Amino acid sequence: MCFTQNFWSLLISGLADGFLYALIALGYTLVYGVLQLINFAHSEVFMSGGFAGYFVLQATLGSHTTSGWGSVGYVALGIAAGAAGGGVVAFLLERVAYRPLRRRKAPRLAFLISAIGASYFLYNIAGKEFGHNALEIPAPFTNLPWFSIFGAPVQAYYVVIAIAAISMLLLVDRVVSSTKLGKGIRAVAQDAETASLMGVNINRIISQTFVLGGLLGGAAGFLFGLNAGVVYTMGFTPALKAFTAAVLGGIGNVRGAMLGGLVLGIAENLPMGCVQTAWRDVIAYGILAIVLLFRPTGILGERLGRAA
Amino acid sequence: MHLTTKRLGVPFAAAVLGLASFGGAATAATHHAATKTYTIAYEGPLSGGNQQLGLNMAYSVQLAIQQANAGKTFGKLPFKLAYKAADDQGSATQSPTTAQSLIGDKSVIAVVGPAFSGATKAAEPLYHAAHLATVSPSATLPALADSGWNNFFRVVADDDAQGPADALYAAKKLHVKSVFAVDDASAYAVGLVDAFAKRAKQLGIKVTHQEAPGTTQCQAGNGNVQQYGALATDIVSSKANAVFYGGYYCDFALLAKAVRAAGFTGYLMSDDGSLDPHYVAQAGAAIADGTYLSCACTNLGNTPAAKAFSTGFRKLAGFPVGTYSAEAYDATNTVIAVLKKLGARATRPAVVAGLHKVIYTGLTKVVHFQPDGNIAGSSVYEYQVKGGKIVELGMVSKLVK
Repeated sequence: MCFTQNFWSLLISGLADGFLYALIALGYTLVYGVLQLINFAHSEVFMSGGFAGYFVLQATLGSHTTSGWGSVGYVALGIAAGAAGGGVVAFLLERVAYRPLRRRKAPRLAFLISAIGASYFLYNIAGKEFGHNALEIPAPFTNLPWFSIFGAPVQAYYVVIAIAAISMLLLVDRVVSSTKLGKGIRAVAQDAETASLMGVNINRIISQTFVLGGLLGGAAGFLFGLNAGVVYTMGFTPALKAFTAAVLGGIGNVRGAMLGGLVLGIAENLPMGCVQTAWRDVIAYGILAIVLLFRPTGILGERLGRAA
Repeated sequence: MHLTTKRLGVPFAAAVLGLASFGGAATAATHHAATKTYTIAYEGPLSGGNQQLGLNMAYSVQLAIQQANAGKTFGKLPFKLAYKAADDQGSATQSPTTAQSLIGDKSVIAVVGPAFSGATKAAEPLYHAAHLATVSPSATLPALADSGWNNFFRVVADDDAQGPADALYAAKKLHVKSVFAVDDASAYAVGLVDAFAKRAKQLGIKVTHQEAPGTTQCQAGNGNVQQYGALATDIVSSKANAVFYGGYYCDFALLAKAVRAAGFTGYLMSDDGSLDPHYVAQAGAAIADGTYLSCACTNLGNTPAAKAFSTGFRKLAGFPVGTYSAEAYDATNTVIAVLKKLGARATRPAVVAGLHKVIYTGLTKVVHFQPDGNIAGSSVYEYQVKGGKIVELGMVSKLVK
């Protein structure tokens, strides 16, 4: 009874959450694919995208309001700015926090600590510079229900997320499966040494992989901030959820990250017709534990090299 | 009081100036050997993280004493008043030492403070043994009034007053039939929402209660922003015609957006934690408009007395009146009113007895104490967001009549 009561409403909010998780999860999974490392500073790549979108829109539009196609342009500009911000920070992160360690053949634990250090550095600087209160990105669309599906109200924000995320996910899937960069990424993921013998520039591929993940994470940061506002702590929980999604789908697997994001988003929302909000994470992580018990490598469970 | 430290930003320059001026003020007004001098002390945080809140009150106490000495507020008095500041840093461990030093000073006839609930709880047994009256402008822990200290008074309503007042307003003024109450899992909000729910049920309102932990986005807990989408669906399908949120403005703004996006058209209500212009900024004026917010505190309004107080405070302190400034001013003047009645024969026990009988019309309310030291009558105020601004509607007990 409780499952069916608000099924469509909860499925819709679940999909919206899932698309965001999927965009962020790709950043984890791509980097894991080429480096077999979890980039724990990805939450701050996400945050940087939010701030970049906010400041670019402030600088170009200020308090000017948009409507119709202007609003579409507004969101597109914000996504582009967010992606650029995320890409730049991811690029710098790889240069400063990872490459020097790789060159010195540092133990894996050093990479982990380096990433956590970079994460703390970035978010504390953001808190210091931009304040501890969320900065609002004025939404260029209505906050009231826009239309309904099977009686479930759909807000414009969810439509924006769905369109933006689906386009980006398709694009990334194409990039990884059929471009030269994608081939390079897959080659490095399969066997870095052999790839380098075959003439693949490993450093360049790794750097480009970080940037690709950063573009997606930054765009997701803007999409998230469009509703919740941007603040220095914004990356913490969404990134943790996305990491979960990446593991759920099979870490290192591009389509697995997308699927994992959607599954987690839906798993977090559907049961909410039956239980209280405080149970949300208990149920979502319970599902994660059960999935991993039966499929320890995640739902799709393949490595980046063989996927796509 | 349950304010988070981030809401108490300390303007550094103001703080430094404030401390510099205390030294001079404490020794003033001791020259008239002929007339008797009573010292009214203030105990609160004058250093540390909550210093600003302490200063908001300290300058009010000082101002009330200066004005009384100048004959502006009580006419010519048969005695002189002196001011003494005692810093407890808002800490329960520091407070007993601070209290002991005030008790040891025989010229101290009454204390305004302690400012914080924990500090009050720790110091009150000492004050009680010394028969020294304490009138707190801001200690809101309900249990303080239950300990049998006959010298304890406070001019602010306790935490148990706010929730029931909100329920009363929802029932009598908004005619709410069914309410969806949400708390952010903080100790403050859980207590407040429980008190709200209990009274609402007594008033015949159907109550659904959920806990949604404050989010990391708002630095208020371990919740995730995304939780509000599904919660909003629950709220809409519950058919409640009001949402009552216990917590702070940042999460309330996220919830407000989510419920409106889900098609909720009923009333939005919250507490003093949400009484902040940031709520309107973060939710957007279109969403926030019409929201009801409550607080055991009041805007001063535009009466001549309020204006004179604001101007005088700013001149003395160098910064505008803040949270609990007016309450501290009322607390001090209540003590002075008692002293005026006692004249030159005032003793510490006589002041305690006098406070139990006093009726004094202050800026924020008519000060009249119940036997346990709580302020008589509910003095919770209702506010509403109108045109993007938070506007005070008045005292709940008067609005529902």
